[in-house]
Amino acid sequence: MEEQEQKPLMAREELRDVIALSLWAGQMLLQNGADSQRVEETVHRIGTSLGCDWLDIVVMPDAIIASTVSHGEFRTKVRRAPGRGVDMQKIAGISDLSYRATRGELDRFELRKALREIDEAPRNYNRWTVVFGVGLACAAFSRLFGGDISVFVITFLASSAAMFIRQELHKRYFNSFIIVVATAFVAGSIGSLASLFNLSPDPTIAMAASVLLLVPGVPLINAGEDLLHGHTLTGVLRGVNGLLIVMSIALGLILSFWITGVSV
Amino acid sequence: MNTFLLIVSDAFWSALAAMGFAMLFNVPQRALIHCMIGGAIGHALRTLLMQKFGFSIELATLLSATTVGFWAKWCAIRLKMPSMIFAVSAVIPMVPGVFAYQTMIGILDTTHASNTDVVDILAQSSVNAIKTGVILASLAGGIVAPSLIFKRRKPVV
Repeated sequence: MEEQEQKPLMAREELRDVIALSLWAGQMLLQNGADSQRVEETVHRIGTSLGCDWLDIVVMPDAIIASTVSHGEFRTKVRRAPGRGVDMQKIAGISDLSYRATRGELDRFELRKALREIDEAPRNYNRWTVVFGVGLACAAFSRLFGGDISVFVITFLASSAAMFIRQELHKRYFNSFIIVVATAFVAGSIGSLASLFNLSPDPTIAMAASVLLLVPGVPLINAGEDLLHGHTLTGVLRGVNGLLIVMSIALGLILSFWITGVSV
Repeated sequence: MNTFLLIVSDAFWSALAAMGFAMLFNVPQRALIHCMIGGAIGHALRTLLMQKFGFSIELATLLSATTVGFWAKWCAIRLKMPSMIFAVSAVIPMVPGVFAYQTMIGILDTTHASNTDVVDILAQSSVNAIKTGVILASLAGGIVAPSLIFKRRKPVV
């Protein structure tokens, strides 16, 4: 590699810093819904722009392994990244940082500060805005499926309440599948009101639309992208994870069917 | 005129749906409007292709998702953000939630169906499951289409 001659030899402490920083960035990307290709490229970009000759990166669904290389000297580190959620602001921030590092605007100390800022940044929308927005989104889905105004209102109430429950359970660190089951139960139960009181000629739309806030869109789309990019392992595992979430939704719905007696 | 109204209302509601999910995904505030426009373009185009030109839902989804993919790429260049922010939020209205829902409901129904009905229910569920899978594959394919077409340089990793 001709690059190897151009970059100065790095001390072992420097290599350690570089691998810790680039893996931190990779971990945040992976936990916030980036696909494997993006994680791999961004970690590589940050590492090489901080002075490494090369990085080898293995991206797994919940962990990253990387080696930094400088003139034959290397260090390897494993970083766990258990699942958390979707946060596009963090993905945008880290991606921007990696390009700034490539242009030489950041050294490793500034990068550490910038990464901490991204990690600790509050969310862009407060929780009530999200509750309202998600309720409106599911209600909009009910219109797309051909629901009338009463279905629209019921769906809005059901999915807003479900989103609220989801946030509350999330705050209390419940198991993620339990959260999905409970949220689907709440959404299905309130959504079935349209059927119970015969508010609409096609009341089941309310139930179908109000659980849509749980549909694992990002894991499933990422699964497809990973498979297309040749990251077969992560693609399959993300798909399985998405499938488990879908099955949890089904479990929550069947619980609500038992209680309300509404059948589809 | 009727088709026009249909498409406009379709675009309006899908923009709202994309907005809600974009908030859930915590997209940067200045990207929000672009996510909404992308959602409106994608779903309205799919509805137009299906209603007016008689496309199947799978093919219409692939074409719309590809359009969204290019829209996301354009936004990404303009706003200097990763294109997945725009693409993922914008295809959310096209995610086959109802097919997935009907698959689940069908499987759940088998628990209390008579033996003769079970075969029909399972067949219907399988069709829905396959539709879900094909539509998801179309969405993923459409989103990555721009990078598959233009970003063919030697892989860095």
